[in-house]
Amino acid sequence: MMKFLDHLEEWLVASLIGAATVIIFLSVVHRYASGLAIPGVQDWLLSLNMSWTQELCIYMFIWMAKFGAAYGVRTGIHVGVDVFINSLKDKTRAKFVVIGLSGGALFTFIIGSLGAKFVWDVGMRFAVASTFGFDWPDLTEGPVSPDLEWPVWIFYSAIPLGSYLMCFRFLQVIRSFIRTGELPHHDHGHVDGLDDEIPKDATEALEAYEEHKFDHAGHPGGKS
Amino acid sequence: MTALIIFGLLALLMLTGMPISISLGLTVLTFLFTMTTVPVEAVALKLFTGIEKFEIMAIPFFILAGNFLTHGGVAKRMINFATSLVGHMHGGLALGGVLACALFAAVSGSSPATVVAIGSIMLPAMVKQGYPMKFGVGVIGTSGGLGILIPPSIVMVIYAVSTNTSIGKLFIAGVIPGLLLGLLLLSVTWLVAKKRNYPRLPKASWTMRLRSMRECMWGLFLIVVVIGGIYSGIFTATEAAAMSAVYAFIVAVFIYKDMKLKDVPKTLLASANMSAMILYIITNAVLFSFLLTSEQIPQELTSWITHLGLGSVGFLIMVNLLLLAAGNFMEPSSILLITAPLLFPMAMQLGIDPIHLGVLMTVNMEIGMITPPVGLNLYVASGISRLGLTDTTKACAPWILVMMAFLMLITYVPAISLWLPNLLFK
Repeated sequence: MMKFLDHLEEWLVASLIGAATVIIFLSVVHRYASGLAIPGVQDWLLSLNMSWTQELCIYMFIWMAKFGAAYGVRTGIHVGVDVFINSLKDKTRAKFVVIGLSGGALFTFIIGSLGAKFVWDVGMRFAVASTFGFDWPDLTEGPVSPDLEWPVWIFYSAIPLGSYLMCFRFLQVIRSFIRTGELPHHDHGHVDGLDDEIPKDATEALEAYEEHKFDHAGHPGGKS
Repeated sequence: MTALIIFGLLALLMLTGMPISISLGLTVLTFLFTMTTVPVEAVALKLFTGIEKFEIMAIPFFILAGNFLTHGGVAKRMINFATSLVGHMHGGLALGGVLACALFAAVSGSSPATVVAIGSIMLPAMVKQGYPMKFGVGVIGTSGGLGILIPPSIVMVIYAVSTNTSIGKLFIAGVIPGLLLGLLLLSVTWLVAKKRNYPRLPKASWTMRLRSMRECMWGLFLIVVVIGGIYSGIFTATEAAAMSAVYAFIVAVFIYKDMKLKDVPKTLLASANMSAMILYIITNAVLFSFLLTSEQIPQELTSWITHLGLGSVGFLIMVNLLLLAAGNFMEPSSILLITAPLLFPMAMQLGIDPIHLGVLMTVNMEIGMITPPVGLNLYVASGISRLGLTDTTKACAPWILVMMAFLMLITYVPAISLWLPNLLFK
């Protein structure tokens, strides 16, 4: 179950960023291609309305940002100012780490709840009532987005969903920190294609360097 | 008074080691709950509308483009080209390292990744040739920061969106300072190398130079796609970012073949992770500056500065000191997001050009990368050289002086930053 949630989260954020890139790429291609006078194709291209792409891209990235932020808690990418607490004794430091993480859980919980109330009021209440035929007082249909004309509460639901998930991730990290004393840590200097080649010592390094440097076997001399 | 409470609260929360985004958000919530009558519901909406801007979306696209090209294979191509150009001069490997850092940082967009990619190949080679490790670490650690000045730069996009400045103009403004700093680092390296008689490499023939240039052209062309695309008006900045991501994908997978198609989801995920973190800080920073504005703090500070009669010279010194101090504790995007909305109105009042301020702040961020205790470049440089943080810091110290001199130049000669954008954007 937990694994499933992890994968869903990863799959969601990765596809959102990928799809947004493709959408913007296509809209740019479309804009220039429809200027080309190719018989048949041009009329078809001009008949396509691509004005919604920008809006969709923004909403996709906001969803990516909210769920990606939750994923980021798991990977330890949200950094704070840890100079002060790192200079403390281990025990005191651990207390501060828990306080910091709890602050995260608290904040995301509050935001999630505010967001949920907001989404409910802005159109979800109407949608639920009209779908299930409830007869609630003061029903008003919420606004729709300008280009796509989808109800905005659907887009906005990223706030409660993402924030609650983030809150859950903070709680998970607190639990594992208390159990093991380990925090997730993000490696900012990670570069692919080097791992198997980081040389053990200088000699190997130079050999590796020589191999790909030039095609001839030039020996680096002193002053030549 | 209000300003003191808000910033005091923020500093207190940050000291607990809480993520900066969360500290910003909690400061806003606490203040709104206890001290004001601003409806808290507005906060949830702000969390969404705060990043509902198409310009901001350039950030994830640029991160994605950079990640496609952050690969050892790309680093090697840049190194080959750089050493074939300057390798035969005094301190050839070191000069090649500076140049390779500039090229790689420009396309990868990440300073720490540049230090790792270039450093893990160049440092051992330099040591083997008889360079002191410290010299190598200083050169590579410092040059790794060049990337945030050379477009496309994520730090610049962040400044542009938080002050409503043109991304394209700022990118173009970064070109000359970027080249100048590169040249400055090269000349200092060359002078030191000449004095200490560091080794040279055999001179590469023009065929070799051309071949290695053709190899790394594909990667470097990314810069042309971005700058050319924006400047000629073919794309908006965000579209240029998306196009550069698609371009980087094609180069990495089909031309360089460094990356297999099955590695793409991993790159997407890593980019989404990084972007979401920055977007999350942005949302909370928007929330924070919403609070500052509703409490009239930028106005108060601006009138305070005017009363002080600092003038633009004194003000810029103050800005530099503030940013350098902040650079010791926070990473660039957070510093910019917190300080830019405050400094910007003051600078406008004093008649400082927004583009000049942007370049100046970017250079400050660059210095922050190599100053302890938080400079990311120092950490990764110490990681690959196994020198220890204190020694790495000492190794970078002379270079910090060079950067400081450069900062002074940028601060007091606005023409370096403004000449090119003013020429191109009439």
